[in-house]
Order: sequence, then C-alpha cells, then structure tokens
Amino acid sequence: MTTPTPAPVRTVLRAEGFACPSCVTKIEKQVGRLDGVDAVRVHFASQRIEVDHDPARADAEALVAAVAKAGYTARPAAF
Amino acid sequence: MTRRWWHGPWRVPALAGALILAAVLVAQVPRASTASDLLMVAAAVVAGTGIARAAVRALAARSSSIDLLVTIAATGAVVIGEYWEAAAVTFLFAVGHALEVRTLGKTRSALAALVASAPDVAVVVREGQQVEVPAAEVAVGERVLVKNGAKVPVDGVVVGGTGALDEASITGESIPAEKSAGDRVFAGTVSRGGFLEVETRGVGADTTLARIIHRVEEAQDAKAPTQLFMDRFARWYTPGIVLVALAVGLLTRDVVLALTLLVIACPGALVISIPVSVVAGIGRAARDGVLVKGGEHLETTARIDAVALDKTGTLTEGRPELTDVVVLAPGASRADVLGWAARAEAGSEHPLARPVLEGAAAEGLASPDLPEVVEPVPGKGIHAVTGGRRVLVGNAALLAEHGVEAGGADEAAERLAAAGRTPMLVALDREVLGVIAVADRVRPTARTLVDALHAAGVREVVMLTGDAPRVASAIGSEVGIDTVHAGLLPEDKLTAVRALQSRGRTVAMVGDGVNDAPALATADVGVAMAAAGSAVAVETADVALMSDDLLRLPHAITLARRTVRVMRQNIVIALLTVAALLAGVFAGGVTMAVGMLVHEASILVVIGNAMRLLRTRPPAPRAQVETGQPHALRRVETGV
Repeated sequence: MTTPTPAPVRTVLRAEGFACPSCVTKIEKQVGRLDGVDAVRVHFASQRIEVDHDPARADAEALVAAVAKAGYTARPAAF
Repeated sequence: MTRRWWHGPWRVPALAGALILAAVLVAQVPRASTASDLLMVAAAVVAGTGIARAAVRALAARSSSIDLLVTIAATGAVVIGEYWEAAAVTFLFAVGHALEVRTLGKTRSALAALVASAPDVAVVVREGQQVEVPAAEVAVGERVLVKNGAKVPVDGVVVGGTGALDEASITGESIPAEKSAGDRVFAGTVSRGGFLEVETRGVGADTTLARIIHRVEEAQDAKAPTQLFMDRFARWYTPGIVLVALAVGLLTRDVVLALTLLVIACPGALVISIPVSVVAGIGRAARDGVLVKGGEHLETTARIDAVALDKTGTLTEGRPELTDVVVLAPGASRADVLGWAARAEAGSEHPLARPVLEGAAAEGLASPDLPEVVEPVPGKGIHAVTGGRRVLVGNAALLAEHGVEAGGADEAAERLAAAGRTPMLVALDREVLGVIAVADRVRPTARTLVDALHAAGVREVVMLTGDAPRVASAIGSEVGIDTVHAGLLPEDKLTAVRALQSRGRTVAMVGDGVNDAPALATADVGVAMAAAGSAVAVETADVALMSDDLLRLPHAITLARRTVRVMRQNIVIALLTVAALLAGVFAGGVTMAVGMLVHEASILVVIGNAMRLLRTRPPAPRAQVETGQPHALRRVETGV
C-alpha cells in the first residue's frame, strides 16, 4: 500500500518588528533550511511570511520557531 | 503595565541608558575611572548583544547588514579603549531601532486597523450544540450564530433572525445596515444589535475582508523600480563600506577614523526611504478608496499627463433621456406632442423609445393602449396607427415617405442636433406637431472631473467614443475636454491610446473593461471603476477606484505625485546626511557617537516625512450620484 505524498500546504505567518529590509533574507534562509519546507517568501511592507510546506515534517509551530531563530516574532494567520 | 514594558523593545535601551548614566556619575568620583569604564563597557554589551546577534544571523544567511557595521564599530571602539563611543553608538542604535519600529508601525496603521477587524472565533451550530471554534475552521455551509456585539466570522447569507451590522470595515458606511433573511453578510463586520443565523459561504482567506486586505498588502509589497535599484545598491554598498573603512584605516593608521566612517556610512535612511514612502502612499490611497496596485504603478501614475475617458457611462449617465419637446403646430400643446409620440412608441423595444415613454409617464401622459398598427422603419423612425390616427415619429425622410411636409421642423431638429441631441419629428395625420429630442445626459460632475484633472497636472483630457461626432463634440465642449475622438470602433480606442503615447504622453485610460480591455492594457495606467466595471477589469487594472466616484482619480494622481516627491526627498535627505557627516569627520568634530545620533535622527526624519502622506486634510467634495428622480425636461434655448 502506498501512502500518497501530501500536497504542500501554504501557511501565512504575520510577524512584527520589520524595521530593516535585511530581515527578509535572514528569515527566508532560516525557514528555508527546515526539512519539509518547499518555498518561503517574506514580504517586508506587509510583514507577512508565506511558506509552502509539508505539515507532517514541518508544522506551523516549527515555522514560528524558525522565524524566532531569525530574531522575529510571528503568528500563524488565516490570511 | 510595567511587566509589558519590561518585555518590550524599550527594555534594552533603558537598561543601557541607565548604565551609561551610572558610568558618567561614577566618573565624577576621583580614582573611580576604571569602575566608570567598566560600566560603560557593560552598557555597550547590554545594547550591543542584540545587535551582534542580528549581525551574526544575517551573516549566516550570507547577507551583510547594518547591524554588522555597528557591531564592528562598537567592538573596535572597545578594543582601542574608546568606551564612551562604544556605549553611545550601541545605545543610540538600539533607541533608534525601537523608535523606527514604532513609527513604521504607525505608517502601516492604515491597514493594521483593517487586519485587526478580522474575526478570531465563530459560534457554529454542530449537532444541535453551539460550539465555539476558530473562525477559519468553519466549513462552508455550516450555520453560524452572530450575537449582539459579536464580529461576523464568515461571509454568508442570513437564514434566520434579524440584526443591524456595522459594515464600516467593508463599505465605509458608518450607519448600521439592517439584515434579515436572504441578506448577505461579511466577515469582519460587527453586530450592533439583534441575533442572526448565517449560512456560511466564505471562510478565512475566501472572505471579502481578506480579499480587500490582500489586495492592499500585495500592492504595498510590489516593488517600485526605484526600490529594486535601491535593494541592489544596498547589497553591494554594505560590504563595500567595510572594505573602504579597512583601507582608510590601514592607509592612515587612524583606527578611530576608520571606525567613525563605518558608523557614518550606515545606509539605514537610504534603505528605508522608498519602502516607507510606498507603504504610506498606497495605504493612504486605499483609505481614500483608490487601490494602486504597486510602487511601480504609483510612479507611473505620478507621471500621467493625458487621461482618456469613455463618453457613455463615464462622462454621461449611460442611458438616453428625453431632453426637449418643441411644439410647432399652432394650437397644439406640449402634452399633444409628447402624448402622441408616446402612444406611437408604446410597446416598442427600440432604445430611443424608452426615454420617450419614460418622459411621457413622468408627465402623466402614459397610455396603456398599444397602437393598432406599428411599423418600425430602420434608420428612419416609426409609423403607427393608434386611436384611428396615424402617427409618425422619426426623421424628415420618414415624413417625406408618408407625404408629410416637414416645414419649420427641420430647423428645430437641426438646432437640437447641433446641441448634441437626437431629434425626432412627431407628425399626426398630415400635420407636424413638433419635435422631441433625447440625449444621454451629461453627469453633473463631469465638468468638475475634467477641471480637477487639469488642476492635478493632466495636460490633455481625451474623450473616446463610438458615438456620432456632433454629439461627442457638443458634450466635449460642455465638459471641457481637450481632444475628442468620435465614431470609434472598439479597436480604434487602442490606436487612439497608442497615438497619444507616440506623442510622448503618459496615458491613463478609464474604462469598464468590457469592450475596452485592449486599450486599458496598452495605456500606461489602466483605471477601472470597481462599482461600474467588470470584475476582470478591476483585477487587471493598475489603479482601481473602489467607489462610484470618478473624482477620486484626480485625487489619486495628486497623491501619487506627492508620494514620488516624498520618495525623492527621502533619498536626498539620506544622501545629504552621509555627505554632511563625511565632511564633518574630515573637518573634525564628528565622533562615532555624533555620527550615530545623526544617522538615527535621519532615519526618523525619513519615516516622519513619509508619514506626512497619511495626514488627512478636509475631504474633497464627493460626487453626488443622482438616483432615479423624475427628470425636469429642459426647454430648448432656441427662442421657438
């Protein structure tokens, strides 16, 4: 029996404290390193982080922790 | 309250500041210089640790940052024994950062309030029980309850109960809207009374609120060409500065100079100058009901010097109306002319029939009877027999065909045509009764619009229409249009836009997207009206006017110009600050501490400058859209 590969889920995190555009690269690298993350985009102006990931390997909490490692607080949001 | 403050962004600067103060005080005590120095170093460590951590994180992401410059400068200062400089630089940077976050937050506030109105929880009815769940976890089709004072958690349709909802976050209307079965409700609106049972149609990202927020955020995130250039510049600039400082230090053997250069050259103000202006500009426009889809469109909109407008529906109401009734036959009255014309046209589906019938009904002349004989003659008019009498409504050719002499009616018709109306002769049996005319009425605000566009710096306002040249020019001169292109087929509109562009104009085109999509796409800025335009037009337009108010367009152009001006001012402020500091270093007197103070001040000035865009002046007069009132028939100024 083969388990189907789950489709990547898109999670939107809203962060605070984006004062310098250098935060974009920091967060993208930190979150991108996680196993299970396919793509990550950080938007400076709206302080949003969009992550395409496999929730089984990297869940929302792991994403939030990765963003914290980059030095910023973020919360999952509905949109 | 104290707790929150302790964990907030002010903790570190406050602590460092206290330590610096202590160091200064202790330095007054004789032979306590070492203790004073230690306190200074402690201050530098307290403020500098966070900065160093950020620098390391950036390095790990293989990007250089301003934190790196500050860390090197501070560390270097400690190493060479300049403890005050080290402490001052890190302290000022930390304070500046906290202030930056706060003021940037204010600039983002235009949208923050909207995001905050997003619902968190929903009361769902599952298996007969009321269950509270996160708003995003409601399934489409589920029943949701909205109690007094609660936020509506989903988009949906009312299936039970009644209530009043404050829909300000969606429609801008502050008066609560009454809702009952069958009415649509939107997520994010607040109940001001009553109890509603709602069937869910849209959840989370699939709600109107989310879509509005998403569109504005996307626009704020979309980078302007100037910004892309700045990003590239900053990427090379920061490592470049380190190298230059290193070179200078090695050449002059003046470590202090090298470190001061590091501090002065921090591009903090430069790097933030464009993003903050774009966020403020787009945020302010969105608050005023104009969605500019990105920094690039902001810059293009600021350069607009020609606007192309559709006639029908934009400058005119879009539906023909009865404008004149001219009585020519001696002994006949207005009611005769209009009444017989209406009887002839009764039941006709022709676009010119409706205004006649409506005009007659407004004067109480409507007749329920259909004519016994009706013979529409394409291109000429209508021939009808009603109540035993023969009525003709049409042009002179029609009358001639049926042997009726037009006589003086030709002149009257000519005068009306010259005024941009469509005249129709009315004849009863063998006699000409008079002339009636219909026209698509000019919007009362059209003149104001064109004047406002000119005032906003638009050199050429162009009218594009498929209508007859005479009608078009008449309306054009009434409204103040600079150039009229009439008799256009849809593909000609595209050519007209291109022609304007080839003359060097930056062209904005306002359209509804139904039959002018190619022209909208070719224009430098495509403008769609959300209320009147198709959904596709609004999605693909560069600028969307979210209300029915065309007067928002000149306002948007002015706002775009202001924003671009602010962008340029900010870049100049940033560059001048660095230049001035550089001069100051070589002239003497500018230390690391002073350099950092001025640097942080320049960042706050840049952000503050952008925040000016958010300041509301008294609102511009809003267009009053007339709503279906009986139309007063205009008298013809022909002296007849």
